[in-house]
Amino acid sequence: MNKSKKKGRKFQGVSFIILVMIVFCILGGVVFSIARRISAEMSESAVNNLGESLNLIQGTVEVILKKEAEFQKLMAEEIAIMDEPEEFIHSYNRDGTIIMLSMVWAGETEGFSNTGESFSAEELDFSLGRTVDGLPVSESYLNSLGTWAYTMKCPVVRDGEEIATLYVEYIYDSFDKPLPNKFYNGSATIYMMDAQSERFVLKPKGIGEREAGHINLDDFYRANRILEPDIQEQIDSGIKAGENVMFYHDIQDKESLIYMWAVNDGAVYLIGYVPIEAIQQEGRAVNQNILVVVIIMLVAFISCCGLYFFNGRQQAKIRAEREREREIHNKQLAEALQTAQIASQSKTTFLSNMSHDIRTPMNAILGFTTLLTKDADNPAKVREYTKKITSSGQHLLSLINDVLDVSKIESGKVVLTMGEFNLNDMVSSVDAIIRPSAKAKGQNFEVVVTGIKHERLLGDETRINQILINLLSNAVKYTQEGGNIYFRMIGLKQRTSQFERIQIEVEDNGYGMTPEYLEVLFDAFTRAENSTTNKVQGTGLGMAITKNIVELMGGTIDVLSQVDRGTLFTVELELRIPDGQVDEQFWKKNGVSQILAVDDDEDICKNIQMLMEDTGVLVDTALSGEEAVRMVQEVSKQEKYYDVILLDWQMPGMNGMETAKRIRAIVPDHIPIFFLTAYDWDDIEDEAVHAGIDGFLAKPFFVSAFREKYLEVRAGHSQTASSLDEAEEHALEGRHFLVAEDNEINAEILEELLDVEGATCEIAENGKLATERFSRAARGEFDAILMDVQMPVMNGYDATKAIRAMEREDADTIPIIAMTANAFAEDVKDAMDAGMTAHIAKPVDMKLLKKTIHLYL
Amino acid sequence: MRKVTRKMWAILLSGTMVFTVSACSNQKDVPNENLAGNEKEHKKFVNLFGPMEKSDPDADNTARTAHEQTVRMAEEELGVYMEYRTYTAEDYQDKTYDDVTLDRARNNMDDLYLLNPDTIQALGREGRLADLSGLDIAKNLREVVRTANTVDGKLVAIPQEVVAYGLFVNKDMFDKYKLKLPNTPEEFLECCKTFKEKGIETPIGANRWWLECFVLAQGYADMYNGGDTEEEVAALNSGEAKLSDYMRPGFEFLKELMDQGYIDAEKAYVSEAIEGEKEDFLGQKTPIVMAYWGAANTDTAYGDPDFDMQVIGFPSHRGQMPIISMSGYGVVPEAENYDDAMEVLDIMLSDEALQEYSQVNQVISPSKNVEVDCIDALKPLNDRINENIYVLGSNASMNVEQWGNICIIVRELLNGSSVDECMAQFDKLQEESLDK
Repeated sequence: MNKSKKKGRKFQGVSFIILVMIVFCILGGVVFSIARRISAEMSESAVNNLGESLNLIQGTVEVILKKEAEFQKLMAEEIAIMDEPEEFIHSYNRDGTIIMLSMVWAGETEGFSNTGESFSAEELDFSLGRTVDGLPVSESYLNSLGTWAYTMKCPVVRDGEEIATLYVEYIYDSFDKPLPNKFYNGSATIYMMDAQSERFVLKPKGIGEREAGHINLDDFYRANRILEPDIQEQIDSGIKAGENVMFYHDIQDKESLIYMWAVNDGAVYLIGYVPIEAIQQEGRAVNQNILVVVIIMLVAFISCCGLYFFNGRQQAKIRAEREREREIHNKQLAEALQTAQIASQSKTTFLSNMSHDIRTPMNAILGFTTLLTKDADNPAKVREYTKKITSSGQHLLSLINDVLDVSKIESGKVVLTMGEFNLNDMVSSVDAIIRPSAKAKGQNFEVVVTGIKHERLLGDETRINQILINLLSNAVKYTQEGGNIYFRMIGLKQRTSQFERIQIEVEDNGYGMTPEYLEVLFDAFTRAENSTTNKVQGTGLGMAITKNIVELMGGTIDVLSQVDRGTLFTVELELRIPDGQVDEQFWKKNGVSQILAVDDDEDICKNIQMLMEDTGVLVDTALSGEEAVRMVQEVSKQEKYYDVILLDWQMPGMNGMETAKRIRAIVPDHIPIFFLTAYDWDDIEDEAVHAGIDGFLAKPFFVSAFREKYLEVRAGHSQTASSLDEAEEHALEGRHFLVAEDNEINAEILEELLDVEGATCEIAENGKLATERFSRAARGEFDAILMDVQMPVMNGYDATKAIRAMEREDADTIPIIAMTANAFAEDVKDAMDAGMTAHIAKPVDMKLLKKTIHLYL
Repeated sequence: MRKVTRKMWAILLSGTMVFTVSACSNQKDVPNENLAGNEKEHKKFVNLFGPMEKSDPDADNTARTAHEQTVRMAEEELGVYMEYRTYTAEDYQDKTYDDVTLDRARNNMDDLYLLNPDTIQALGREGRLADLSGLDIAKNLREVVRTANTVDGKLVAIPQEVVAYGLFVNKDMFDKYKLKLPNTPEEFLECCKTFKEKGIETPIGANRWWLECFVLAQGYADMYNGGDTEEEVAALNSGEAKLSDYMRPGFEFLKELMDQGYIDAEKAYVSEAIEGEKEDFLGQKTPIVMAYWGAANTDTAYGDPDFDMQVIGFPSHRGQMPIISMSGYGVVPEAENYDDAMEVLDIMLSDEALQEYSQVNQVISPSKNVEVDCIDALKPLNDRINENIYVLGSNASMNVEQWGNICIIVRELLNGSSVDECMAQFDKLQEESLDK
C-alpha cells in the first residue's frame, strides 16, 4: 500500500516536471526563434548600414577627387591663356591638398615646379590608366614630405593645341578631414589603400591603438589574423576587379565586418573593419533584454522546480518524521508491553515461588500439627514436632516480612529510624547470627574491621543490620560447604569531620553469578535460576530490599561476581558521627593511661592505636611475643607497668600463650592481660586462665568491647550477668496481665504461653473493653497491659490514649506493651506516640516478652 | 508565521505586476532640448613620428609597453593626445625610415620625432632640431649620452634608453666545440673557422643593418678607450686624419668573413634586423648573431632561448667592445605644437618615467639617477660598459655621420664592392664634409 502510494507520488512529480519542461521548452523555442529572426534582421541591417556609410564616404572621396580634377582643369585653362605660366607656377604656395604644381612643355622631358626644382614626369607611373574626371592619375608614392601622394596630369591646351602638361601632386592626408573622425564611435577602423601597391596611404587621425603596424594589405591580414587563403583570394580578386568586398571575420576575438570599398573605380580602397556590436548597439540591447527575459524565465523555472521539490521534500520529511515517531511510539509500546509482560511473568513466577515457598513451611507446620495430634502422648515427639513447627513458622515469618518490606519499599513508605548505635554491638550481633550458620556449613567466616575512627555512629541500626545479614546470609547460602566468607568493615578517608565513611565488603568464594543474572540481581521478584540455587529457599527479594535501603541511606552498592569463583559485594555508607564520642574520663578515672597491644599483624596494632587515639590512652605496640616481653621488661625497670596488655593468641615465634606466661611473670596480677582472638576461645579458656589471662576480646577490636571487658574484669561482672539472665528467665512468673486481643486463637495461644511461664491474664476483646476493664481494676491488679493494635470498636492506640488519660495514679505508670502484627519501625513509633511503653511484634517471641517485662517491671 | 509569509508573497507579486504593467506602457518622456552635438573638440594633439603604431600600454609586448606607459603618463598629466604617424619600409628597395624622417622633419610635418643617430646628426647640423638643454632630464644625463647627442653645442636629442649592441652567442655551442668566447678579431676568425669545420654552414647570422658594429669596434676602440677622443675627432673633422684609415681594418675583417663564408652576404643584404637570422639562431644552427641590448629581454626577439645565451662585445684588439648607439627624441623648432611637444618630452624623459621604462625593459637608462639590474645573459656586456669600455656608434660632433654612412657602405660591401671602393666612399664623404 505504502509502496504504491510512494510510486503514485513519484509519478505525479515526474509528470509535473515534464509538463513544466514542455511549457518552458515551447517558450524557449519561441524566444529562440524570435531572437534568431531579430539577429538575422539585425545582421542584414548591419551590412546595409555599413554599406551605406561606406557608400557615403566613397561618394565624398570621389567628389573631392573630381573637384581636384575640375580645379586642375580650370588651372590648365587659366595657364593656357597666361603669357608667363612659369611665374604662376613658381608663385604657387603649397597647401594642405596640393603640394607640388609642375608643368612640362610639350616635347620636353623636364619641366619646372613651384618648389623651384626641375621636374621630370619619368618617376611618375600613369601606366595603369586610372583617371578622375578624365584626368590620368599616377600611382601612389612617398613624396618629398615623407607622406603618401598621387599626381594628376592635365593637358594645357591653347588654341586647340596641347602646349604643355600640368602636373599637380595631391597628398592623401587631405582626405583626413572628410573621413569620419570616429568611425562607429571609434570602434571601427578605416584606412585608404592604394589598390595597385596595396600600401596603406592614409591612416586617419584618432584611429586609436593598434596591435600592429598597418603597412600594407599583407600586414593588415597578419595583424588581424585574416589568414584563410580562400578569403584572401576572394579579396584579391575583388580588388583586382575593382569590386567592393565585405565579409564577417573575428578581429581581436570580436565578430566584425571586414570591408574593402572601392573608390574611383577601384584605384583606391577604403579598407578596415567594424565590430558587429558597434553597428548593432540597439540590437545588442534587444538581445540583452531577451537574454534577461530568458534568464528570468530560467530562474523562475528553476525556482518553481526548486519550490516543488523543496515542498515535496518537506512533505516527505514530515511523513518520514511521523513514520519515525510512530515507529518509536510502537517500539515504546512494544517495550512497555514486554516490560509489563516480564513484570507480570516475574510476579507470576514470584507468586509461583511464593506459593511454593509458603506452602513448604506451611506444609511442615500443618503436617507436624497432624503428627502432634497423633503423638500427643509422646513428649519427645511433641518436643521434636514443636521445634520443627517453630522453625517452619519462623521461616514463614521471614518470608512474610520480606514480602511486606518490598511492598513498602516499592510504595516509597520506608522511613529510616535514626539513632545512635555502636559498631561493636552491630558487628557482634551480626557475627553471632552468621557465625553459627557458617560453622554449620563448615565455612570459614572472617571478620575484619580496619581504619574506623569512631564506633558510635548515627544511623538506622536495624536497617544496616538488615543489609549486613542479607548480604552475609546470602554469602553463607550461596557458598559451598568449606568455603570462605569475609566480612570487612573498612574506614575510608573522611570527606568531612562530621561523617564516617565506611566501606562494607562481603566476599565469598561460592557459586558466583552469571553476568546475565548480575543485571537483574537488584530487581525485585528475581532469583538465580540454576540447579544449585533451586535448592535454596528464599523470596528473591533480599537484594532488592538491600539495594533500596542502601540507596535510601545515600550509599552505594556494587557487586563483582564470577560463576564458580565467588562474589564480592561492596557497600559504601556515610554515617554521621554523634557529638560526645570521647569517653576520656572513663579511662582516666580507672587509671588507664598506657597499654601495650601485641599482634604480628601491624594493621591490627595500628587500628588499635587509631581507635584509642581519642581516649587519651597511650598505646604501645609490639609485633611479636619476644618484643612484647622485652618492652614489658623495659617499662618494669622504671618500676612502672602497662595498665592493660592486649595479646594476640596466635603469633609466629613466641605464641600468645607463652608470651602471656612470661609477661605475667613480670607484671603483678592486678594488671589485666586480654587475649585478642578471632576464634572461639572455649577450647583454650582453661589454658589461658592458667597462663595468667584475665579475659578474651573478640577480634575485631572495639573500644566499647574493650571497656566492657575491662569493667568486667575489674568488677568481677561475669557473676552479675549470669544473675541478670536468671532474673530475666523468671520475669513472667506470678504476673497478671490484661490482654486486649480480638482474635480468639491468638488470645488463647497467648494465654497458654503465659500460663507455661507461670503468668495469668484476662482477655478483653477490643480496646474499649480493655479500657473499661482497666478502669474497674484495682490498683496493682494488673502488672501490665498487652495491647493488640488492630481491633474492632477501639484500636490499641486509642485504648492506650484513653488509659493514659484516666485519672488514676497508675494510669501513667502501668506498662502498656504493644503486641501487634504491625511490625515496622513506623508502627513502633506510632505505638510510642500513643503512649505505649514497648512494642513487640507478632508472632510473640516469649524470650523477647520476658526481656521486655523484666526491663519495665 | 505562515500567514505573514503568504502576505509578503502576495505584496511582492502585486508589486511585480504593477511594475511589469507600467513598463509595458507606450508613453515616453520627450525631451525638448536640442539634441545636436555642437561642442567642438578642444583636445590638444601632439604628433609623434616613429616606426611603431600606438598600442595598448598594458599589452604583452614588453618593448612597446614600456614606451606606451611613458606616453600615457604624459597624456594623463598634460591632457594631450599623442597622435602617432608611422612609416615602415616594406623592403630594402623602399625609402628607409630615416629618409622619410628627414623629409618629414624638414617639412615640419610632425612635432616630435624618434630619430636614429644619423638623422639626429643630419637634422642637428641643419638646425632643424630644437635645443633640449632646458628640460629637466638634461641635468641628469650620462656623459656618453650627452656626447653622442650634442651638435654644435646644442643637445638636440635625448633617448629613453642607451642602446648597447653586442654579439649574441650560443655558449652551449662554443662549449661543445671547446671554444673560448672571442676577444680579438683573430680569435673570432678562429672560432668561425672551427664552426665551419664542424659543419656549421653560416656561423654568423647577419642582416643589412648591424654589421657596421664590427667596423666601429675595430676602428674606434682606441679613440674612445685611451686615446684623446676630442683631438682625434678634431683631426677627422679637419681632414688631418683619414676616416678611411679608421674604417679599413673593420671592412677588411668583414670582407674576410664574407669570403670565408662565415656570413651569407647575399642574404644579409636583403634581410631586416632579427627577422633574417632569428630562426637559425634560436634553432641553434647559427651560433652568433648581433643585436641590441633589449633583444635579450624580449620574447619576440631572443628573450627565451633554449640554450645558454651570452651577450658579449664585438671583437677588437682591446678586447670585447660594446657599441653604444641611441635613438633619441627630437623636436622640430617650427612644430605646430612645439610647446606641448616639449612638455610631453619633459614627462616622457623624467626620472620617474625613465625608471618605469628601464624597469620594464631592463635597459640602461640615459639618466644617471636610474639604475636597474640586468639579466645574467647581459652581464658580460654590462660589465664592459660599467668599466667605461665602449665605442660610440654615432658621434654628433663628427662632421661625417657615422652610424648611417657606415651602414650604407657596408651594404655596398655586401653587394660586391671591394674594400678599396668602400674606402674611397669614406674619403669622398670626408671631403664633402670638409667642403661644407
